[in-house]
Amino acid sequence: MIEGVGLVDLRFGEPIDTYGGAPGEGNARTFGVHGYAFTAVNPG
Amino acid sequence: MANEPIVDVELLRSEVSAHYAEVAHDPHGEFHFHTGRTATTRLGYDDALLDGFPDACVEAFAGVANPFSFGVPASGEHVVDVGSGGGLDALIAARAVGGDGAVIGVDMTADMRRRATENAAAAGLDNVEFRDGLAEDLPVDDGWADVVISNGVLNLVPDKVAAYEEIRRVLRPGGRIQIADVCVEREVPDDAKRDIDLWKG
Repeated sequence: MIEGVGLVDLRFGEPIDTYGGAPGEGNARTFGVHGYAFTAVNPG
Repeated sequence: MANEPIVDVELLRSEVSAHYAEVAHDPHGEFHFHTGRTATTRLGYDDALLDGFPDACVEAFAGVANPFSFGVPASGEHVVDVGSGGGLDALIAARAVGGDGAVIGVDMTADMRRRATENAAAAGLDNVEFRDGLAEDLPVDDGWADVVISNGVLNLVPDKVAAYEEIRRVLRPGGRIQIADVCVEREVPDDAKRDIDLWKG
């Protein structure tokens, strides 16, 4: 999706257990939800 | 052409906005996600990014990862924060870019924009403003931004392709995104995709 709109050099950081210990942890575990930071560049 | 939504778009926006208005009013309430300093610590925000900000600036933070793990914006840069919420990431960016730079936070929830504006004043930052708008229709000029940041927002946007197309539109050539969001690692059934409560958490 990100590269599909023309952004390039997509890089992801390490996964984070965003919802661990929060009330939403159950749904997060069910669907394998993790937080990520990512970056990409607009080539122009 | 717009992508076919799987949910009632207006209902989703209304529910999401109401949910985050609750966060704005009572950030210490019980939500499906962590908020405030519990969240910033969990997500790896460097204490130096938060030093000097009044507690009120941090309380309504509800991010899902750390867009500044790729570095903070440089002095003089222009930054757009898509779905700026209580404004913490925009304030971090505003302090980083300094008086020669500028930050525009965009959020559809009036209570969050109000809180973010108050937080900017409390932090003594006048190079950041918060505008009403949607990720799919950003109120920002073409090519204005050196950096687009966002945190925990694009997963809530019904038309994600349109949102990324808008992000590219507002970026200058050579500009970059530094986005934090959640990803699912297992297939989500169609009935779950249509469940707005699951979109919210």
